[in-house]
Amino acid sequence: MSYYKFNENDLFYNRIETNPETSFIIYSGSVYFNSRNMESGAFTNPILHVPDGYVSLYELNVDRPAGELIYPFITKDGSLTAFRTISTDAFNNDFAYGDTLTGSYPMSASISRDYLVENTTNKRLLALKNTINYYRYLSPQFEFSSSLRGLAEVPVNLISVPSIFYGSSIKKGSIKLKFYVSGTLVAEANDEKRNGELVQVGPRGSIGSGSVVGLALYTEGFMLLTSSVQLSPHGEIYPPIGTAASASWINFATTGSGVQAAASSSFSMTFQGVNYIPTLTMFAHAKQAMLNHSSNPTYIDSTTVSSSLYQSEITGSTFYEGALKVKNTVKTPYADPTGSFQKQTYISRIGVYDKDKNLIAIAKVATPVRKRETDSYTFKLKIDF
Amino acid sequence: MATVFKTLTNNDVASTRTLLHEAIPVTGTIVSGTYVGRENIKNYSHGMFQSVYDYPYLSSSANHIFDITVGYNSDSPLSASTSTQNAKKINMYNELAQVLVGHDSTGSILKFDQDGDIASGGQKINEAVFVNFARLLNKDEVKKGSFEIKLLTGSNPMSASSPLTISDYQGTVNYRTNSPAGEYGVLYTSSATTNSRSGVGLIYYQAGVAVITASVFSSNPLGYGNVVNDYCPFATDAVTNAYVPGGHYKGLITVLTASSISGASDGFRNRMMNVQFNNTTELNSTIYFCRANHNDFNYSSNPTYLSSSKIRVKDQSTDSPVSYITTVGLYSADNELLAVAKLSEPLKKTPESELTLRVRLDY
Repeated sequence: MSYYKFNENDLFYNRIETNPETSFIIYSGSVYFNSRNMESGAFTNPILHVPDGYVSLYELNVDRPAGELIYPFITKDGSLTAFRTISTDAFNNDFAYGDTLTGSYPMSASISRDYLVENTTNKRLLALKNTINYYRYLSPQFEFSSSLRGLAEVPVNLISVPSIFYGSSIKKGSIKLKFYVSGTLVAEANDEKRNGELVQVGPRGSIGSGSVVGLALYTEGFMLLTSSVQLSPHGEIYPPIGTAASASWINFATTGSGVQAAASSSFSMTFQGVNYIPTLTMFAHAKQAMLNHSSNPTYIDSTTVSSSLYQSEITGSTFYEGALKVKNTVKTPYADPTGSFQKQTYISRIGVYDKDKNLIAIAKVATPVRKRETDSYTFKLKIDF
Repeated sequence: MATVFKTLTNNDVASTRTLLHEAIPVTGTIVSGTYVGRENIKNYSHGMFQSVYDYPYLSSSANHIFDITVGYNSDSPLSASTSTQNAKKINMYNELAQVLVGHDSTGSILKFDQDGDIASGGQKINEAVFVNFARLLNKDEVKKGSFEIKLLTGSNPMSASSPLTISDYQGTVNYRTNSPAGEYGVLYTSSATTNSRSGVGLIYYQAGVAVITASVFSSNPLGYGNVVNDYCPFATDAVTNAYVPGGHYKGLITVLTASSISGASDGFRNRMMNVQFNNTTELNSTIYFCRANHNDFNYSSNPTYLSSSKIRVKDQSTDSPVSYITTVGLYSADNELLAVAKLSEPLKKTPESELTLRVRLDY
């Protein structure tokens, strides 16, 4: 086996951007994620132990009864590592060193919707104040408080999207919000300007069309809908407001149950995420007249190994290895005689080593590649992280 | 953005390793019986092994749990040209043996050893059932001393009682290191009989492979290499699992010789009552102790720190400065920002206080 060093022209560092699309449909108190049908199993319903609209991290517990779930645990030691579900106080006071700390699966995530009443102290909104103001360079709409509008003075429909649904950020220009009443599209908004403004774009001639109805924080995964404009004469109870109200963007994505399930309204939200995959591309060269010998035991003609003529000998402290005959693997259309001997090997795998010659990766070819002395190959290896 | 950098000394950096475990129960109902049509069992046209899933495998939610196969070496009395898939069973044994046990000085494949002491000879496992757990469950390794498998015994697999519990008793202290595939422990039927003659299998911790001798089902559990009777018949008709005397039951020898690998795997699967083990994942961390001494970081370069060119948090010029620490940045030697640690809430910093912020970087 020979070692060859990659030079700077053999290594390429790239980053692939992927844009996975995510859709949510909210109707009658239920949230549906990517139109996924929740399967029922022999022991649990649904099999993933999470309700509609949720994703299960790892998806380890599939159709398992309650007493037989996979769960994580850790032993309290000097590294002071614990699960986030265990508070610092509990970690310090309730557990001794050597005790077992347990967690639970599945961990789940879904979108959430908060209706923030105007002129009250909303910690969630205030926590976003600096972030919203930071994006003022994109649009004056991101001014948290201005003569145009103060976000604390109007009702805000805050939709939170966990990053597991989008990755590094929501893709600009990909957000589409649709508001249906009795199955009819009454309003559609998107971020066609790609600056975070959510603009109502349809249906053509609809009330409020062309106006900014909210803001999107792409990196943070929030949407703030602020428009109270009546989108339809239809009125019903949109929780958490306890009385009948008109269809408007501040009632978008509302959920409830029973008579407060906003049964005549449904909502759709789609967006694309931005997910980066760093890749390393390596070019491994097998040049002419190189790599034409193998240390594989099968490379040697076994009939010569066993003959006394070529047998290895140990005399005293000295080791003698006799001449060994390389197996002739040259293809011939005839069973006998064989083809004219040529030094050739079949490359089946390429090992990648670190500077200390530790094997850190192996690339395998689908079928072994014949390498003759006159052949020159370049293998392209790619690793995703 | 900080304008002052503090250099981390060797005393400020510590590396730790934490072991995260998961308890993995695999009940017999998952392995057989729940899905009557065997939708969670995948057999392949190559016929070399059988895959078991926790849910019908055509569902994208299904997880691969383990593969199961059987094999024997060419020295076994069961090896004969008349045996079904004879060469394939030998190949399976050899393939696993060369990976898990290795070769001797002549290049010959070593056999699985009952007590793991290969050099001294001793009893070999010539016929075995192999259970290869998925990396999804096994993670970095099986936690030593945690592996347990319960097998149903008795002459009637449909009403088998008295399960036989096999475990790597003493695995935490008495494991072997002479395998090319990592560490392994010996499986025993009882913690009271962990001697060199009582092992009934091996568990390879890093590889996640359990090797169970076929003679564990024999009335003579010490009959290695000499499977002498059909004491414990297998129900290999796993589609119905119905009891049909003489129709669906096959004795141990018959299963290993006259059944295919998938048929023998069915039989073994139907005898599995429970499998339980804990896996291990290594979490490597570096901890940076970021120390803010009494005279450090009491001012801020944040624009909001000043109001009309005066420090906002000072009423009198003699007042002590105050800052609120929200973020810790870790920089390279060239002052390039590499990582940012955020506090859950800002910490008040004055000349009267000193803080040490413990920043942990997991990878």
